Amino acid sequence: MNSLLASIAGWGVNVAIAMTALRTNLMRSILTTLGVMIGVFSVILAVAVGNGAQVSVTQQIATLGSNMAIVVPEPDSGNSGPRRPSDRGRLTERDGQAILRQVPGVVAVAPQIRNSVQAVTSGRSATTQAIGATPEYGTISNVNASDGRFLTQGDVGSAGRVAVIGQTVADKLFADISPVGQTFRVNRVPFTVIGVLESKGSNLGNDNDDQIVVPITTLRQRLSTAATQGPDDVTLLFVGFEDEETLLDGQKEIKSLLRDRYRVPKGKINPFTVRTTTEIAETTGEVTQIFQAVLVAIASISLLVGGIGIMNIMLVSVTERTREIGLRMALGAKRSDIRNQFLVEAAVLCVIGGAIGLILAMVAAAIFQQVADFPAPVGLDTALLSVAFSAAIGILFGGYPAIRASRLSPIEALRSE
Amino acid sequence: MTALLETHDLVKDYVIGGETLHAVNRVSLGIQRGEFVAIMGTSGSGKSTFMNMIGCLDIPTSGTLLLDGIDTKTLDSDELAEIRNRKIGFVFQQFNLLARTSALDNVAVPLIYRGMGYTERRERAQAKLEAMGLGDRLLNTPAKLSGGQQQRVAIARALVTDPLMVLADEPTGALDTQTSLDIMGIFQKLNDDGITLIVVTHEPDIAEYAARRIVFRDGQVIEDAAVKSRRRAVSA
Repeated sequence: MNSLLASIAGWGVNVAIAMTALRTNLMRSILTTLGVMIGVFSVILAVAVGNGAQVSVTQQIATLGSNMAIVVPEPDSGNSGPRRPSDRGRLTERDGQAILRQVPGVVAVAPQIRNSVQAVTSGRSATTQAIGATPEYGTISNVNASDGRFLTQGDVGSAGRVAVIGQTVADKLFADISPVGQTFRVNRVPFTVIGVLESKGSNLGNDNDDQIVVPITTLRQRLSTAATQGPDDVTLLFVGFEDEETLLDGQKEIKSLLRDRYRVPKGKINPFTVRTTTEIAETTGEVTQIFQAVLVAIASISLLVGGIGIMNIMLVSVTERTREIGLRMALGAKRSDIRNQFLVEAAVLCVIGGAIGLILAMVAAAIFQQVADFPAPVGLDTALLSVAFSAAIGILFGGYPAIRASRLSPIEALRSE
Repeated sequence: MTALLETHDLVKDYVIGGETLHAVNRVSLGIQRGEFVAIMGTSGSGKSTFMNMIGCLDIPTSGTLLLDGIDTKTLDSDELAEIRNRKIGFVFQQFNLLARTSALDNVAVPLIYRGMGYTERRERAQAKLEAMGLGDRLLNTPAKLSGGQQQRVAIARALVTDPLMVLADEPTGALDTQTSLDIMGIFQKLNDDGITLIVVTHEPDIAEYAARRIVFRDGQVIEDAAVKSRRRAVSA
């Protein structure tokens, strides 16, 4: 117990000695600290931005809806070579109905046609994405109208010229006035705004509010481009499932059902792709992890440079203070005392630099969050880890100079000028 | 009772440019507790090398060095550090005080390596500084002290561990005549109080304050005798 107290006191003395030495060469200490500071700053910011990307992606997946499969008439890209136009499959509303009837666990199917359109009012215009949909689109992907109402079965049945518009489109077309009840035109077809979509913000530069939703029938009749082949062809199907379990089995069921319906021979690749929100979350999660790893790797280089700066300055310090080292040895300092003294000095430099870097990174992350509207959370774990990490940098890069100091012969060291 | 210090055929060789130089060549002598010894010689005579070996700062090439009955050959570097800390006090020509560090903290340095607590360190250091007449200079840094005062701080530092002996290497070499006399007066007073002193000097008058004189030449002892007309400093 006493020896433990003594050893703690011993380290305290080392910190005091280190502080004196660092104060003595204040300017040099500050410049050296700067290297570690910048290193820790960039690593923390990289981690924060990476975390932000992950949060952002998770949010995006959530806005897409959960427990959902997306069916598109594109050939499965997983195990095929380059895609050819002839590989494109078809997808129809009848396929959607078949899926709803035959695949267990399916609660709703939302067929959609998506087109890029230009919406105009007097004097204003907005290029945006038009989604031809049914009311099920709202339920499956959790889209609601914040103002006015969403599409109804009646709108679809009558091919009404009505639209629910996203916040961004509303701002572009109507600026300050309330959009509900106003009209705009697409290809000279007038549409009445029946509702404004709840804002879903933006993720990774993708504006989720830059879209308009119109009845699928209306889009097909009045705004369709040549892309579709038949009277009830769709661009994609959203298939909503009860839960994650049925979704997993459902993915296979949908594939085999569609293969049957289009009589795809065994061994030939699927002319359509079925992806689940779970899969999308996984792949985007992987992508953002790689993104974060790359960021952190780049930032680590500056930390490495900072560490080398520490090593450099500690070597200079050992050379300058050779006589002091000799004196301390003459007065009874063991090799480990000398080594610890310089280790603590390097660690103190690094921890101070790391702490300042951490504070600056937190400020920068907060500013970034405000300006770029992108989450960059700096957690307590990141903070503690970075301070521990900078101490480790100090011990790692201060280790060589410290050991060199401790290996000096007392008499040689005392004789040096 | 064993001698405080005993050497048998102590040798220190330096190899310079392929030639072996015997800096200390087969020196055998003993020093008892309470002695006041002056080690003399011209530069290159081996006196400083001998001093460094008995101070456990340098390791002999061959021969035996018994310090307080302990054969130093058997000790590793940590154990030698321990011996320096507990049994030996050093006083240097250039004082070797830590710059920008108060007199009090300078004197307390050896106690740090003994693992002593902060308060006790300061109390002991203060007591030694007061005994050196520096009670009003405790918080002064070396830059604010005269040469004589700095050397007195260094003596306080050598004494703070209550060592078996104090080794002083040219302690008056950087001081004027009057201050040198003051320092030798302090040494005589310490010796009167029973502290063993070994002073290396090349100045014959400084050596006359000691009780025994050992003269080195070419690495060997050529004279070892009591000082006949010993001087007494009028103590400061």
